[in-house]
Amino acid sequence: MLVVKNVSKIYTNNKKAVDNLDLEIQKGEIIGFIGPNGAGKTTTIRMITGMIAPTEGTIEINGKDIARESVEAKKNFTFVPDHPTIFDAIKGIDYLNFIADMYEVDLKQRKEQIEKYTRAFHIYDALGQTINSYSHGMKQKLLISGALLPNPNLFILDEPMVGLDPHSAKILKDIMREHCERGGTVFFSSHVLEVVENLCHRVVIIHRGRPIACDTLENIKKSSSATLEEIFLEMTKDE
Amino acid sequence: MNKFISLTKIQVLDFFSKYTQKLNVKNKYLGILVMFVPVLLVLPAAQLVLELYHTFLMVGFPELTITYMYIANTILIVFSSIPLIISIFFYAKDLRLIATLPIREDTIVFSKLASIYIYLLVISCFFLGNSIVLYGTIGGLKVVSLLVGILALLISPLVPMIIATIVLLPFMSVIGSGKRRNLMVVVGNLILIGAIIFIQMISSNIQMRPEELNNLLLQQDGLLMVIGRRFPPSIWLTKMIEGSMLHGLLFIAFNFVLLWILRGLAKTLYNRALMKFNQEGAPAVRGKLYYKSKSKGFQMVRRHINIILGNPIFFLNTVLTIFVPILMFVIVLFTGEVGMDISKSEALASYRLFIYTAVITTPAILGSLSATVITREGKAFWETKVLPVSAKDNIRYRIYSTLVIKLMGSLILGILVLFVIPMDLTSILIAMAFCIAATLFFSSIDMIINIERPFLNWTNPTAAVKNNLNILLSLLIRAIVGFLGYGLVKLLGGWQVSSIILILCGLLFVFYIITRYVIYEMYVEKFIDIAP
Repeated sequence: MLVVKNVSKIYTNNKKAVDNLDLEIQKGEIIGFIGPNGAGKTTTIRMITGMIAPTEGTIEINGKDIARESVEAKKNFTFVPDHPTIFDAIKGIDYLNFIADMYEVDLKQRKEQIEKYTRAFHIYDALGQTINSYSHGMKQKLLISGALLPNPNLFILDEPMVGLDPHSAKILKDIMREHCERGGTVFFSSHVLEVVENLCHRVVIIHRGRPIACDTLENIKKSSSATLEEIFLEMTKDE
Repeated sequence: MNKFISLTKIQVLDFFSKYTQKLNVKNKYLGILVMFVPVLLVLPAAQLVLELYHTFLMVGFPELTITYMYIANTILIVFSSIPLIISIFFYAKDLRLIATLPIREDTIVFSKLASIYIYLLVISCFFLGNSIVLYGTIGGLKVVSLLVGILALLISPLVPMIIATIVLLPFMSVIGSGKRRNLMVVVGNLILIGAIIFIQMISSNIQMRPEELNNLLLQQDGLLMVIGRRFPPSIWLTKMIEGSMLHGLLFIAFNFVLLWILRGLAKTLYNRALMKFNQEGAPAVRGKLYYKSKSKGFQMVRRHINIILGNPIFFLNTVLTIFVPILMFVIVLFTGEVGMDISKSEALASYRLFIYTAVITTPAILGSLSATVITREGKAFWETKVLPVSAKDNIRYRIYSTLVIKLMGSLILGILVLFVIPMDLTSILIAMAFCIAATLFFSSIDMIINIERPFLNWTNPTAAVKNNLNILLSLLIRAIVGFLGYGLVKLLGGWQVSSIILILCGLLFVFYIITRYVIYEMYVEKFIDIAP
């Protein structure tokens, strides 16, 4: 579903944010993407979603190159950023209709999906209000609902649990599992290691722009009885 | 460091860092040079002032250039300061932090005004600055006049800025307390601007009795009194530059009194206007749920127009730059300043098509909307980048949104002007063709400016649409094109007006085709590279 080949990103100040990253994610997987602050998680996600171009390497989503066939590649995924900064002078329902039109979701599916997810996140009654009257958490839930609305093949989230109350976080985790059971794929970054530990089929650990682990949790923990947190801290410890 | 200086320094640094940010110029000296691009914009203003100077010199009163320019400058600054004050006081993101700091209310008010003052001083340099330099240098260097003039220039933004602040802050707290406060802010301020234009026109139209006018003109400063009666400080300023100590003291004292009044009112304005406005929650406008399908293009264009409509500062700025000509036109019609007789004037007969074409093209010339179409999105720019819309279409829909707004402004103006200057169908079509070509060209070339300098991280909305280099570059292009057009008109002096306009229209269209090619062939990659 997602193939990242030899991807590097060097910013104009010559800072190498991502260094030769390789990654392959299969259909139906939930992948957790973890790393310390400044490790290159957000840069990687921005390259995968087409927000910025890699300096080297290629990224394919469902066989479509994000650089060369960007529109076709983008039809395969939706994205939820770490901060719910969206154009907020419109109503919640305007935003969801906008997203549905962009992904060409028909009216029947649009109505069903909007009602399903916004009711699950308890924001259905607020859809008629302008987004700038929403709380941080409500905006996050609206973004997640919008991203789930087209039923994407690949669901990408950057720090999705930030701003969510425990009840909503639980709903999101259930939705991610359900999405995978239906054949969808989930790729998300997080600092909450318990979530990654409980939810993911595989974990990618990135440090100083380089992947230092990419395996199932069982394989990563094979040689020790430590928790993911202890392994993460050991692996990303600065010499 | 003194709290006021420290706070002012932060505000001013923020202002300048936004101005120079992302110049895309690696060479330090070239970077500094680019900062002086606005200086080039002074040239057309200097030409205007020079012509005015020669006119007043012919009647023997060159100093009236300063009187006239000071009045024009004051009006211009009042208009410019309205969206700036609203943006920096009411919609800036820093107030949440500043309000928690142990700083006196008047310090906050004055430090915020300091960054506004710098911007307004730059505006003053264009017309008043030019008139002072010309008066002080033409026909021999007048050192005292020049030095006093520079002092007057430095003080000149204070009066209109303080008056605008004292009027606006309570005004905003009144209109901003309702449910639809963003709409109220825009409508309320438009009414305020309309009222200012109206009062200004009424005051300049007050008929003097003939004998009173004759008596005034017979006096040594008669003409100065006639022009300056609209705003007496302009008389004091002119006499101050001519060397009158008494008038100089009067002019400076007037500015200090206003500053003192503002200082006295600062605490009340801060608590009763600024804090009250900011304590009001975001508007919770309720609407019905709907499920409707629209095309991608429609949704994208609507999104860009909504970004303008949804932010009072963007909206007000657009209205001011594009629709103020309409507002002024409606007011001059109602005040009778321009009547139907303009259409009968023989002297204007050959220029009628020029005038009509120029008026309907005003929105294309004044509105640099494409130069900030990426910037206006700010941190929400990522939204359309991850959507399944090609970069080419993403750029195209941004240009379309500008075209819709500008052409709507031109259409309204075109219909209104027809009531005063009746035109035949052929002339209307020629003017429309020119207007469309100009709108297409300027909207496209502005897009290149914004792709070169996307500037997504702004702290107050005015920084996004007004005080940044994009707008100045965009105006510079207009000045260059205008200069070329003027040269061509002079060159083709004997030709029919309609033929000249059609040639200019053809040239603009060729420019548009070239610009369009450059955008879609060379700037798509750059657009993709813009990092949110």
